[in-house]
Amino acid sequence: MLFGSRWSFGVRTAAAVAMVAVSVSAAAAADVVKIGAPLALTGPLADEGKKQEDVWRMWLEKVNAAGGIEVGGKPTKVELVKYDYQSDGQRAGQLAEKLITDDKVNFLLAPFGSGHTKIVAAVAERYGTPLVACVSSSESVFDQGLKNLFGTLSPNGGMTTAMVKFFKSKVPDLKRVAVLGRDDVFPRSMAKAISAAAKAEGLDVVYDQLYAVGTLDHSAALSAIKAAKPDWIYVTGYTQDLILARKQMADLGIKAPIITMVTGPAYKEFVEALGELANGVTSSSWWHHATSYDGVGVWPTTADFYKEFVAKHKDDPDYVHASCAAAMVTLGDAIKRAGSLDKDKVRDALVDTDITTFYGPVKFAETGMNQVRDLPIIQVQDEAIKVLAPADIKNADLALIK
Amino acid sequence: MTILQTLVNGIVLGALYACLAVGFSLVWGVLNIINMLHGSLIILGGYLTFFAWHSYGIHPLLALPFVAIFIFCIGYVLQLTLINRVVNEPVLTTLTLTFGLDLILYNIMNVYYTATPVRVTLDLGIVQIGNIVMPVDRLLGMALALILTGLLYVVMRGSRIGRAIVAVRMDRTAAELMGVRVDRIYAVTFGIGALMAGAAGAVFSMVYPVTTNLTGAFLGKAFVVCVIGGLGSVPGALVGGLVLGIIESFAGQFFGPQHALTVGFLLMLFLLVVKPTGLTGIKGYE
Repeated sequence: MLFGSRWSFGVRTAAAVAMVAVSVSAAAAADVVKIGAPLALTGPLADEGKKQEDVWRMWLEKVNAAGGIEVGGKPTKVELVKYDYQSDGQRAGQLAEKLITDDKVNFLLAPFGSGHTKIVAAVAERYGTPLVACVSSSESVFDQGLKNLFGTLSPNGGMTTAMVKFFKSKVPDLKRVAVLGRDDVFPRSMAKAISAAAKAEGLDVVYDQLYAVGTLDHSAALSAIKAAKPDWIYVTGYTQDLILARKQMADLGIKAPIITMVTGPAYKEFVEALGELANGVTSSSWWHHATSYDGVGVWPTTADFYKEFVAKHKDDPDYVHASCAAAMVTLGDAIKRAGSLDKDKVRDALVDTDITTFYGPVKFAETGMNQVRDLPIIQVQDEAIKVLAPADIKNADLALIK
Repeated sequence: MTILQTLVNGIVLGALYACLAVGFSLVWGVLNIINMLHGSLIILGGYLTFFAWHSYGIHPLLALPFVAIFIFCIGYVLQLTLINRVVNEPVLTTLTLTFGLDLILYNIMNVYYTATPVRVTLDLGIVQIGNIVMPVDRLLGMALALILTGLLYVVMRGSRIGRAIVAVRMDRTAAELMGVRVDRIYAVTFGIGALMAGAAGAVFSMVYPVTTNLTGAFLGKAFVVCVIGGLGSVPGALVGGLVLGIIESFAGQFFGPQHALTVGFLLMLFLLVVKPTGLTGIKGYE
């Protein structure tokens, strides 16, 4: 009997301790919103990872200075738990899993690029954790029927048809298009989309090839393009590929009235590394600070975001900065509307999202991708970026390359 | 006409490949070290040249000797203080060490310079003969590859240090008994390999965007060139580079750029099976 009561005392104590522990952790969980992010802070994608980190920190400082996000009427501080995945896709997946199971984050943010977003999205889906992606625009990432993936960029397709139509309207005798794309998730899908859009609009696609990742020379492809005498040369790839391709075009004496590189000119380093050679190159981008939207979040207008960014970083933000900041604004808004940190409730709130942010409208389609809209077409003129379209924000006219 | 242009493209590209492989080949041949640092050293050379030009307006060709000598010193010190400790271990050990050193150098450059591509925007123009176009900076790369290779050849044949390097490569123990200070010779050899990487980097800063993203691509190319041309032989690197350049150029033209690299790798595999000593079949510096 004596033993029995001691045992039962022990059991009760243990149970009580366990209950306290559970309630403490529940209280702790409600005290802070934990958002997890595998980030490429070292390795080839370090620059892009840093851009994401920069704007997320800007958002966090602003939100937490105001007391945090309102969750069920109670202001709650936000914490960003991040790990460096060293630009290694497999590791991004492992760290996403660690963030969910070990760090018990409530929500996830995706890393840079369609390829790595796809890997992290598979993990998030397995654990039912809502994931907001800000630098993934390939339909192939979003057409897998994932319920937890939401993306702030609009589909690649939206960038191509509008561009073909725009150039056709400006250059009525535009006929022959050459397409050269990097054989990698995003650049390949852009190359395919542009050649489909060009054919649909009645243009001749006179060259349509991909080059392998790791290509150190484009002279063979460019010589073939030269022989095809295109009016429009469209090249996709990462900035380093595009710099090399543009340089080699000059080396080989290749000229066309329109040269488009995606997404080269959307990054300032493209222009810096090419100097005069960058002039005339057109591109499309998901965002440009010349836009002016008025909406919700810590930066109600585009000007608010732009001013604060420039003051902090002494540089212009690009679409990666804007889209990633908008991802945080959107997630914060969904949490507020859900009034809870419950993953299912926040997921539902994300599905119902229909807001305007400084970055533009955010409303997710069935696939989880932001809706299609008119995206800016840009051109480098006098080594500066000008917006050619849409008409309401344009600040220059298309200049053909002579 | 197109075929002639493709051939010229291939030769000029091949010269760049030879340029980046010569130093790698020397280190592999003499020290039996697969120098994983090679790609990063090329990029370091590129960065030093870029900043000399960007900040002080020094022409890359003027900066080249200084950059090369500076990187020689880095290579010399690395070999003397670190790699010499394990140089007689199996190749996997030295490979692991240089791989580790590469990670350090690569990430230092990433933090210090960021991976954002930069380039010396100095366009030296083109030379046109009939319909055939040749970019001057690539011709320069070609000249450099030939000069460096020639110089190395002369040094190996004619100078005391060159003979000592060859002697060490042939029989380390005997060379030691003859009074050759093997550790110093190792350090000089690694230094020369690094010097070549630095010189290549200086020329490349005008041709390629300088970014840490390219270190792996350069290293991989150097590897393929050496296997094709013949391990550890300087003329082999020249032949291997030219053959690879021409093959990639024609493959890109006829099979599309997507398959240009595949054909290069297939050639490497084929040679590994049929003629493992490479096209030149020369072993070392005998």
